[in-house]
Amino acid sequence: MRTVPHIRSAAVSVCAVALLAVGAGACSGHNSGNSSSAGGGTLTIQGDAGNPTLVENFNPLSPAELGGTRLIYAPLETVSSVNGSYTPFVATGYKFTTPTTLVYTIRPDAKWSDGTPLTPADVVFTFDLLKAHTALDANGIWSQITAVSASGSDVTMTFKAPDVPFAATIAQTPIVPKHIWSKIANPVTFTNTKPVGDGPFELGSFAPTQYTLTKNTNYWDASKIAPSSVVFPAQATNQSTNQLQVSSGQFDWAYQYLPDIQRTYVNRDPATNKYWFPPGGTIGLYLNLTQAPYNNVNFRQGVSLALNRATIAQKAVNGYMPAASTSGIILPNEQKWLSPTLPNQGMVSQNIPAAMAAFAKAGYTLRGGKLVGPSGAQATMTIVQPNNFTDWVAAATEISTELGKVGIKVSLDEPQYAQYSQTIQAGTFNAAMGGFGGTGIPYNDYNLTLNGTYAAPVHTPTANNFERYDNPGVNHALAALAATTSPSAQQQATDTLETMMYQNVPVVLLYYGGSWGIFSTKHFTGWPSASDPYTLPTPYNEALLTVVTHLVKA
Amino acid sequence: MGYILRKVVLFIITLWAAITLVFILPRLMPGSPVDAALGKLASAGVPITNAERAAIEAQLGAPHTNLLAQYGDYWKSIATLRFGTSYSFPTQTVALTIGKALPWTLFIVGTTTILAFIIGTLLGVYAGWRRGKLADSSVTIGATFFGAFPPFWLGLLLLYWLSFKYGWFPIKGGYDPGITPDWSLSFMGNALYHSVLPGLTLAITTLSGWVFGMRNNMINTLGEDYVTFAEANGLRSRTVALLYAARNALLPNVTAFGLALGAVIGGTVLVEGVYSYPGVGNLLYLAVTNHDFPLMQALFLVITLSMLVAIFVVDLLYVRLDPRVRSST
Repeated sequence: MRTVPHIRSAAVSVCAVALLAVGAGACSGHNSGNSSSAGGGTLTIQGDAGNPTLVENFNPLSPAELGGTRLIYAPLETVSSVNGSYTPFVATGYKFTTPTTLVYTIRPDAKWSDGTPLTPADVVFTFDLLKAHTALDANGIWSQITAVSASGSDVTMTFKAPDVPFAATIAQTPIVPKHIWSKIANPVTFTNTKPVGDGPFELGSFAPTQYTLTKNTNYWDASKIAPSSVVFPAQATNQSTNQLQVSSGQFDWAYQYLPDIQRTYVNRDPATNKYWFPPGGTIGLYLNLTQAPYNNVNFRQGVSLALNRATIAQKAVNGYMPAASTSGIILPNEQKWLSPTLPNQGMVSQNIPAAMAAFAKAGYTLRGGKLVGPSGAQATMTIVQPNNFTDWVAAATEISTELGKVGIKVSLDEPQYAQYSQTIQAGTFNAAMGGFGGTGIPYNDYNLTLNGTYAAPVHTPTANNFERYDNPGVNHALAALAATTSPSAQQQATDTLETMMYQNVPVVLLYYGGSWGIFSTKHFTGWPSASDPYTLPTPYNEALLTVVTHLVKA
Repeated sequence: MGYILRKVVLFIITLWAAITLVFILPRLMPGSPVDAALGKLASAGVPITNAERAAIEAQLGAPHTNLLAQYGDYWKSIATLRFGTSYSFPTQTVALTIGKALPWTLFIVGTTTILAFIIGTLLGVYAGWRRGKLADSSVTIGATFFGAFPPFWLGLLLLYWLSFKYGWFPIKGGYDPGITPDWSLSFMGNALYHSVLPGLTLAITTLSGWVFGMRNNMINTLGEDYVTFAEANGLRSRTVALLYAARNALLPNVTAFGLALGAVIGGTVLVEGVYSYPGVGNLLYLAVTNHDFPLMQALFLVITLSMLVAIFVVDLLYVRLDPRVRSST
């Protein structure tokens, strides 16, 4: 059970890049094709990481579930991580009757794949299951709500405090059938190998390296579902192999970073080979706000102005993604939220004299090529980032060069993710590369990163707001945004947050993290694209269900 | 019998030390299993939140007891051969996880190690016997050339040309996607077909070690008086080469062979990675990246045990192979 996808790091394999460049130039490559797609009814999606074989688990509430579980269990609604728009599934819609009372109306014709009708009692049962088992409540639903009840076709959630944007998190909880799950002794370890779901597909067959879903004829909207079956072959453990397989066109839908996509993929069959690489989140340099000089806003502005974001983006993601707006708004996805008062859409260009002026205000001046502070010591910074996130590593390397030019002594620390995670959450870092936003809902993005209530003392781990920002103005705007259902009040509060992000630089936002969607229109069309950006092109999480139900036969 | 007794005592002490190290080493890695699990989610694009962290902690039940208590539990798990549930595969026991992967590695690496040993040793005998001649130079140069390839690089090259470009071999895995392993002939054929490239990669890159070892031993042995004596007696040169020289030259290679067999289980992380082979190498890599203590411990234990047993068996074998060992006790 996961909320919204955002940035996936580009795990670039040097070997594959070299090999692909040779291969694409020389010939069209070997295409073993996909015989099972011949009928036109089969949709082939690049599946889960193989590890190298799959473990059968279709428990939609488990984090170890196989990706295709999303097509077997539909939630109340899905929410686009591009723009936060809702697509109804089990519920026909929702409304806040008071700021702390949320009502979902359940579709009367919804059925489980065994033919049993889906009722509001199933929905209540599912949420009660999360309450009983913390291990299943990965989105912290019961930290926000106090009760769930059913009456007629409605399900009512009572909130502890107003949190309007939290409707999206609740909406995306997969619903499980009470008549089956009430008999399950331990729903946390339950592997659910004979899933009975409310989604458009049911389990066809499972093998350790591939599984197949077939259409659920009991699905309320079955006639609108184009594929008759969906095949998920497991990924290789070797990124180069995955790149070669995607490149040779074995999938209708894949999620893969490919270098020089025009040559390595599109040119192999320009009529049907398409891709869409929208921004899925913002990558930034997090400075530890409990440490000097990073707790000084002028120093942070100096860092922000000293960086050439276009170069950083170029080095990190080969120019696929542009420099980011420092407002925290992802462009063009969330254009409608962008505050009109921000200069140049919140973009900050490199300006060394302005950077030096900002450093001077913080008490730091350039002496003999070194940026020296009031104590006479040179400003230093160690940037930590996980060593397998190659785009972050490339960005940090460029940052260290650019900050070196303004006299800051930068060193890089590249541990495994586990150590990185421990360091940032404990708050013992100087600077860290990290992702910001990408939920499609500005409140969630800002709240996770800026809400002062999460700013735990150093050595007390916190995953939210690990840079430990605490600003009364921001906290107030967040509370206002959480409590209001009025679009104009929402816009007003969001404007405040954008401006604070831009001026106060709690995070030095740099470039957009890409979402690497690769498609073939040979068998199906209706993929998300720049002209129809209805959700992110990630074949996992909620986007999987949204996209597959959106497809039409080619 | 003093010799064997001493070896048994040494074996037990080494075993205890190895088992204890296997316990300590994973715990010296910075970061916790929960942090590692968050990393997996982060790279799949999931926003990392405190709620997420709490759910994972509840799910993994990551150890909160002190190290000494964990060490006690660990010995208990070894004694009962119950290694619990792995963090990477929360619905599957460690024993089952390893059981699924072990046969693949044993089969492919075991076979190629034995083949490489036999072929390499024979080539080494030949090169040593014909030392300085064209046959020697071509074998030596060939072995140097192929032995210098890093296995993963050779693997990537073979994968690209033979699998991707020409499509002669499958590009990944131990068998075709969509089929379930069983004991049918068609499945075994399929698995064999998938094992050709990984096997070839391992064989090519390990062959040279055997060739050089054997060739140098041969040259040393050929300088011995008894070889000259045998030749002077008018024995056929093939008899001298194989029965007199090679038999004695083989001894150091047997030790190396024992070690190589012991290393079979742990030695192929990179090659298995390249071919996405469903073996222990890939599992080990996964266990380490996930900070999966139960799985890591069990894997290291299997690797250490197989190595120790191999050394022990070679030690015992030496008593039969080399009379000098017997007389020195």
